[in-house]
Amino acid sequence: MVNFLVRRVLQALGVILAISLITFFILNIVPGDPVQIMLGDLATPETVAQVRAQMGLDKPVWLQYLNWAGNMLRGDFGSSYFQHRPVMELLLVSFGYTIRLASFSYLLAVTIGLAFGILAAVFHNKWVDKVLMVLAVGGISAPNFWVAIILQIVFGLTLKWFPISGAKDFSYYVLPAIALGTRYAASIARITRNSMLEVSKQDYMRTAEAKGLRDWLIVMRHAFRNALIPVITVAGTDLGNILTGSMLIESVFQISGIGKLMVDAIGQRDLPLVQGGVMYIAFICVVIYLIVDILYAVVDPRIRLGGGTRSE
Amino acid sequence: MKKLLAAMLTAVMLLSVCAFAGAENAKVLRFGQMDAKVGYDPQTNTNSGATTTEDCVVEPLYYWNDQNELIPLLAEDFPTISEDGLVYTIKLREGVKFTDGTDLTTDDVKFTFERMFKPETLAKSTSMYNMILGAKEMLSGEATELAGFEAVDDYTFKFTLVSPFSCFHKNLGIIYSAIFPREACEAAGADWGVKTLIGTGPYILKSSDATGNVLVKNTNYWGGDPHFDEIDIIFYDNNNTKLMAFENGDIDLCDMTSDLFMQYQGTEVEELCHHFSKLGTYFFVTNNSETFRGEKNPLADVRVREAMSLAIDRDLLCEVIQNGLAVPATGMINQFQLGFTAREPYEHNLEKAKALLAEAGYPDGCTITATIRKQDEADTVQIQSDLAQVGIKLNIEIVDAAVWSSERAAGNVQCLLQGWFPLYADADNNIYTFFHSDYSPAKSCFYSNPEFDALMDAARLSTDDAERQKLYEQADEILSRQDYGSIPLYYPYGVFAAQPYVKNFTVGNLIYHVAYDIDYDMDIYNAQK
Repeated sequence: MVNFLVRRVLQALGVILAISLITFFILNIVPGDPVQIMLGDLATPETVAQVRAQMGLDKPVWLQYLNWAGNMLRGDFGSSYFQHRPVMELLLVSFGYTIRLASFSYLLAVTIGLAFGILAAVFHNKWVDKVLMVLAVGGISAPNFWVAIILQIVFGLTLKWFPISGAKDFSYYVLPAIALGTRYAASIARITRNSMLEVSKQDYMRTAEAKGLRDWLIVMRHAFRNALIPVITVAGTDLGNILTGSMLIESVFQISGIGKLMVDAIGQRDLPLVQGGVMYIAFICVVIYLIVDILYAVVDPRIRLGGGTRSE
Repeated sequence: MKKLLAAMLTAVMLLSVCAFAGAENAKVLRFGQMDAKVGYDPQTNTNSGATTTEDCVVEPLYYWNDQNELIPLLAEDFPTISEDGLVYTIKLREGVKFTDGTDLTTDDVKFTFERMFKPETLAKSTSMYNMILGAKEMLSGEATELAGFEAVDDYTFKFTLVSPFSCFHKNLGIIYSAIFPREACEAAGADWGVKTLIGTGPYILKSSDATGNVLVKNTNYWGGDPHFDEIDIIFYDNNNTKLMAFENGDIDLCDMTSDLFMQYQGTEVEELCHHFSKLGTYFFVTNNSETFRGEKNPLADVRVREAMSLAIDRDLLCEVIQNGLAVPATGMINQFQLGFTAREPYEHNLEKAKALLAEAGYPDGCTITATIRKQDEADTVQIQSDLAQVGIKLNIEIVDAAVWSSERAAGNVQCLLQGWFPLYADADNNIYTFFHSDYSPAKSCFYSNPEFDALMDAARLSTDDAERQKLYEQADEILSRQDYGSIPLYYPYGVFAAQPYVKNFTVGNLIYHVAYDIDYDMDIYNAQK
């Protein structure tokens, strides 16, 4: 297990290093001069050149990267060109909003997804299964910004049950969490159902039934537990997606999370903020995949022993 | 013991009720707008979204009100200008205090301008003030003090200019030269405009975060009692959400885009919308240089540019694409600026356009490429369709704002659509900064006509507005009607949505003044609340 962990952590560090290199060099070759944007229409070419030198942007890219990487390792991501605040401070503030939104959404997605998936599998080919799977297809197909606007109109503007936008307290997160979580709930429901049905054909399930075990015990102890591997894969990926892909929902509900911060930063070519944000997303994804890998190993010992593969 | 507890509980409840009642009675204006995300230091940003907040907190020497008139603000009166037009003597109002309790003196003015010209400040609007003697030396790091500033006493000072510039005191009416308190600004350092902003204005910035800003009344404001106890600037980056919040009564006032206005036409919201005339002009910028990307540039020929103007249906642009929120332009200078003169509408004549193209050597038309931002797509597609009728093929490249800005500044754009808005109603702040040969290359326009430049320069030297009016009329005639240096399209209107109890709200220019005139009709307000 220790070897397995060390190998995975080293791989994760390699991925983060590669991402930092790739994004830094890509950001430096994409068109759009941050200094020109920052100084605006009335700046003379001399002023632009002077400011570029002041910001160290006239140095070779590799030197800029080394400076940036050195500072990053000391926890200094630099300052935003436009907001004039430390990148770390901006990321932490935005992360606070994103983590709240993501937590509520994920809780909703996993709870509803697992419940619907198990129910659909238990009532396979009955009306419950059909209704739940129609809902799941609808949930996957509906764009989340569309769901968001419908929720705003119905539950905000018309019924006035929840606030339309903002992020002051829990009530402000209800509609965004539903809008963001619906799609993931649907995908978890589908994968749970399919996985449970797959498992239900196994010999040990027939054995459990032959032993006369109670239905709920068969479902929860034998079917659900053995169906977990694909569910963990999807749920883990979904967590990463929720944490890093909530930009549209943040925009519609005016929640100043990481997604909105990144989109604005890219539009302005706020390089330190984009670079810091990319590192944040990379870190989150790598950590989540690391946790998922560890969970595989916990759930299925064959994986940590090195003989198995994820598809087994 | 029980009695004591009961008494304490009662007291707490009463206090809570009083506090609640107090909060309920507070007169609060909730203004919905986009988050500029550029901080609140008017020297380091020129974003009108940030200005809404800055304008409540800090004040310049003069002030452009919503009737587009320049009035003295921190200055006691208009400046005394020396005969040679070089020395401006200004007297400050006495007894004005910053909200940190310190007095406003000439030392704060000196500090403010010197801070602006220090290279490390990275001030964005120095070109509006760099005619002050010594400013350029400070910007290049050769000097640390502003040679053109002289403090006569605590309340009187002089600016000396390098050359006469009749709009100098008009530029002092822009928020970019708002006066900062030396002590507080120096103490704040890098936090100035980020976590700290102190001025002499009617409101104090109480808090600022990603959701909005809270401004509370400056109870010691020198100019009288501000109308609101609190102004909440609430951020909405999504226009649909902002309008939904307005419908829901979450905000009292907000701006609106023309496409959303169409969506609300015929609804109750439309009745709450107010139009105002923006000071700017939308135009089709043409690259006037002889070659473009190594090839002969059709747009270098004035006949091609005139043909384009003849082919564009401005009425259609205004009525259909802009939903009636624009009027066809008759020149580059907007109808509400000094320098505007009434002219015949531009002709829409396809046959004449074809004839001009043939005369220019393009009987089968030509191909040009517009590099635009997404926001200008609808207008440009309409123009593409208009130009196709006379044989001009217009390719459209849509790029993001960052690429557009950089490519345009580098002169790499053949044509583009854009609006250009002056900060006050004067042609100098508009067409000089775009079409004078010193500026036009950085706009990918490359317009250059010595006669036009001479008229614009002469207008800068004159302090007589009647004479300046004539000079600008001539300059605009050359630019817009003879040279077609670019092609004026329309003068846009802005739209604001205001709840029925909001009164005295007008918009004079780009800057949304929410701090001064605007108020509530309390009868309607109380009835509605």
